Amino acid sequence: MNHWPFIIAAYAITIVGTLAVLGASFVRMRRAERRADALTRRD
Amino acid sequence: MALKAKNQRLILALLAVVAIVGAALLAMSALKDQAAYFYTPADAKKDHVEVGRAVRLGGMVQKGSIQREADGVTIRFVVTDNVETVPVRFTGIVPDLFKEDSGVVAEGSFQPDGSFVATNILAKHDERYMPPQVAGEMHKTESLDANGAQQKGTK
Amino acid sequence: MFRGWPSRPLRTARGPLIPRRAVHIFANPARFLSIARPLTPWLGWPGLLLIATGLVSGLFLTPPDYLQGESVRIMYAHVPAAWLGMAGWSGIAVASLMQLIWRHPLAAVAARAIAVPGALFAAICLLTGSIWGRPTWGTWWEWDGRLTSMLVLFFLYIAYIALSSAGAERGSNDRVSAIFGVVGAANIPIIHYSVEWWRTLHQGQSIGLAGSKIDGSILWPLPLTTLGFTLLFAAIVLMRMRAMLAEAKVEARLKRMASE
Repeated sequence: MNHWPFIIAAYAITIVGTLAVLGASFVRMRRAERRADALTRRD
Repeated sequence: MALKAKNQRLILALLAVVAIVGAALLAMSALKDQAAYFYTPADAKKDHVEVGRAVRLGGMVQKGSIQREADGVTIRFVVTDNVETVPVRFTGIVPDLFKEDSGVVAEGSFQPDGSFVATNILAKHDERYMPPQVAGEMHKTESLDANGAQQKGTK
Repeated sequence: MFRGWPSRPLRTARGPLIPRRAVHIFANPARFLSIARPLTPWLGWPGLLLIATGLVSGLFLTPPDYLQGESVRIMYAHVPAAWLGMAGWSGIAVASLMQLIWRHPLAAVAARAIAVPGALFAAICLLTGSIWGRPTWGTWWEWDGRLTSMLVLFFLYIAYIALSSAGAERGSNDRVSAIFGVVGAANIPIIHYSVEWWRTLHQGQSIGLAGSKIDGSILWPLPLTTLGFTLLFAAIVLMRMRAMLAEAKVEARLKRMASE
């Protein structure tokens, strides 16, 4: 049995999953902090 | 003497943690036999596993025991735990890691004559990983002993 | 060090916070943010670099295993994911305890921030393990002690995420999720000892305090990916905590403006 398709699938799941959560967390943080900063600056 | 609310919560929480861990450990030791994923040959003999019941049999494939029958897809081999042995018959495709002197878990049932007919074969490898060159230099008997000890150690 | 922390939650169900108290409440999260803001990139970028180095090394520079062949390379993704899935819940349990005992306002935020990346790595562990099991053991899935207890951990994360996001609606001092976080920690020693206590299809522990049963030539990228994923995990947790604190700040500010 050729193992490489299994290895590539496992690496792809790991990389895509990690980057998806990293990206989502980053976008959520940026959006929330921008909103908070905008409110602070209005004072 | 009244404890501060904070310290009271601390003591309560620690007691709760101890209780939870204790309960988990109790449940685990109670489940020890039921949760075992497979029977070793010695256990199967000791527990008198009924003929025809669907069980898993695990151990090492005895060295030199794999025989292929004339039809090309049926194999016979012997599962050992260094205490007891069980002859196994299986028709079908085995995993790549199914080798002599290596771990195996066979799903199937015991026959009236004490042999085992498997409907599925899984390979069980141990926790030692090494490149082929290193493995070649090691004594094979040593690896068998190490595995036998590991199998028994799980009991 | 927790004595100075306010015992009030960041948000209360009782209505808008009075301004003086709001300033007081954000005094310590502000100190946290002054550390968390610069720390986030310092954890994230080295983490990504280590992961990339470790995974590429694990794909091309290490020898195959004598028995498993090339599929042993899945280890470089699988082992860090397993570690972080378990370490994540341990973090939730510790943070939940701190929340319950000291009413630490950041503890609930930390526990909630860990849940999603923790669930992610538990899922990666299960999926890569399943993919690894097919060419080696000859099966995608078996209900043995290790696999089953890890699946239970994933379900615990999903339940925690549902429970704590419902709890966040009620206010940040959410005891139900905190207690669930502590009780769920009982599964962590079960996962760890499953391969020793029960006979399992999964092999025993390769790396312990006594050393490693993996040959050095195969082992060396594993600490790189493990450290890398751990740093990245910490960066993700900080990002999610920063997001939650900023969202709480905006919400408190809007409530106050509405009441004025």
